[in-house]
Amino acid sequence: MKKQSFYVKMTVNSLIRRRSRMFVALLAVAIGATVLSGLITIYYDIPRQMGQEFRSYGANLILVSSGGESTLSAAGVESAKPYFPPASVVGIAPYRYEAVKINEQPFMAAGTDLEEAKKTSPYWLVNGRWPAGAGEALIGQEVADTIRLLPGSTFALTGTDADGAGFSRDFSVSGVLQTGGTEEAFIFMSLADLGEMAGDSGRIDIVECSVSASEASLNQIAAEITSHVPDITPRLVKRVTQSEGTVLAKLQSLVYLVTVVVLLLTMICVATTMMAVVAERRKEIGLKKALGAANSAIVREFLGEGLILGGLGGLLGVALGFVFAQTVSMNVFNRPITFQPFLIPATLAASVAVTGLACLLPVRNAANVDPAIVLRGE
Amino acid sequence: MGMLELIDISKIYGSVNALRNIGLTVDQGEWLAIMGPSGSGKTTLMNIVGCMDKPSQGAVILDGVNISKESAKNLTAIRRDKIGLIFQQFHLISYLTALENVMAAQYYHSMPDEGEALEALARVGLKDRAKHFPSQLSGGEQQRVCIARALINYPMLILADEPTGNLDEANEGIVLEILRKLHQDGSTIIVVTHDPEVAEQAQRTVVLEHGRIARIIRNTSPGPGAGPSL
Ligand SMILES: Nc1ncnc2c1ncn2[C@@H]1O[C@H](COP(=O)(O)OP(=O)(O)OP(=O)(O)O)[C@@H](O)[C@H]1O
Ligand SMILES: [Mg+2]
Repeated sequence: MKKQSFYVKMTVNSLIRRRSRMFVALLAVAIGATVLSGLITIYYDIPRQMGQEFRSYGANLILVSSGGESTLSAAGVESAKPYFPPASVVGIAPYRYEAVKINEQPFMAAGTDLEEAKKTSPYWLVNGRWPAGAGEALIGQEVADTIRLLPGSTFALTGTDADGAGFSRDFSVSGVLQTGGTEEAFIFMSLADLGEMAGDSGRIDIVECSVSASEASLNQIAAEITSHVPDITPRLVKRVTQSEGTVLAKLQSLVYLVTVVVLLLTMICVATTMMAVVAERRKEIGLKKALGAANSAIVREFLGEGLILGGLGGLLGVALGFVFAQTVSMNVFNRPITFQPFLIPATLAASVAVTGLACLLPVRNAANVDPAIVLRGE
Repeated sequence: MGMLELIDISKIYGSVNALRNIGLTVDQGEWLAIMGPSGSGKTTLMNIVGCMDKPSQGAVILDGVNISKESAKNLTAIRRDKIGLIFQQFHLISYLTALENVMAAQYYHSMPDEGEALEALARVGLKDRAKHFPSQLSGGEQQRVCIARALINYPMLILADEPTGNLDEANEGIVLEILRKLHQDGSTIIVVTHDPEVAEQAQRTVVLEHGRIARIIRNTSPGPGAGPSL
């Protein structure tokens, strides 16, 4: 039999035939690797997760007209859309505003793509439901209070169209909108309804965009639109994008710190376990040295055991870490996590390296065991 | 010149003088017994001869080499090549089978060889126990595995520290028989024992007291099968 294969046999047997002992060491490595790979998964997923989360606070990029004539066109908006990465777009809602009257009281009507508005403003609280078809409107709480309207009631909207002619049209209230902001003073309806009444269809005043991206990539999108679509001026909603960036950086550095601490703890844990293993096996080491084992042979055996433990623990850690990250993500963000394939080699390498490092000291102790203890007994 | 020469060796542990001015020569093929009360320095002497410890003073010449001057690394190599050790507490590796325990000695020495290891086990009558773990063997069987392991690399000197101390009479007989055969085949053996019956098998008995050689008894009637007397 070859020397190496006897070495492998001896090392593996030492692990599996003393499995109750080695189980503790394996557990230490596996738990460390689990927390490590779990935290790294979360670390990399935080921007994505939180980005989605932040999008519930409304638009972070708006498009307005560049020129003196203060209108945007639907066609113009379409030409800007290709500059948004499709995967990160949460919603793009165009708005058109018109002054209208109900019972001779002035209000603002806002025409929008209702489906997109729902996506860009997920925090809107609708009492009733969103308008489903023509002739339905969502009215702000302030409007509802002023003229005492409830979901289901109808009202007549009057005003002057683009050609200067007066119009009047009946709407039914599908729902009442609460936002805690200026939106409560508006009457929302589809762009088509507003265009039909006020004419000049296709006119748009502002476009609210909600994009799940960092401030840097938002700036890049804005720069591209500026250079390719001169009619449109994009503006970042700084209040939103900057605080997003700060919160993200803080969260990531927190996770980073915790990861480093866990790594250290794992190392201490594995080192302590290995020291206990070495202490427990002093007699065996003494015996091997009495049989003529060189120090290097003893070191090789213990390092071999340590590295197998590190590898196995690392593999366990990859699997359990994903479960761990998934659980955290589902509980905290309510969203599944994306698996990072690079974590398989990374976790393996980290746990093998940490175990190897943690074994160094106890292994040196092992090599220094005096073979004379064997004859002395205990 | 003897194969092993102890020249005026002393060993001091702190305030304990474990060995004092020991001078002794052991010839090739000799069977020597060491007796003495507990604490008289028998194990200390074995550790020094077995290259596991160094004397505080004096010289040990083994096979022409002064081992009291060698580094720990060289001592390991000398021990591996020239010494076979048998212990009172057997000391087998618990997670290896009888066969693997014997092969471990080959592994540290040179090359593990399953066939040769099996043969060594057969010589001590344990061929059918090769695949058993130490915990599945009786004390006598464990000691025989230990002997097989001590012999596997053809050591020039076999050191046994109370090899029969933990065995019943039947097993003691088996172990003595094996040692006797080894002696007949020309091995040099040093046995530490409390048992006069074991000591009787040897050609000479060195009696230690308080770390000194109190007397040396030459056995005029070595047991049956004893080798050529000096
Ligand atoms: N490592 C040590 N440190 C200090 N004193 C020691 C050490 N090893 C042995 N001694 C002392 O040296 C003396 C001789 O010990 P040794 O083990 O050689 O006796 P022994 O003859 O083998 O006894 P036993 O028959 O009980 O095995 C004892 O007094 C012992 O306490
Ligand atoms: Mg002793």
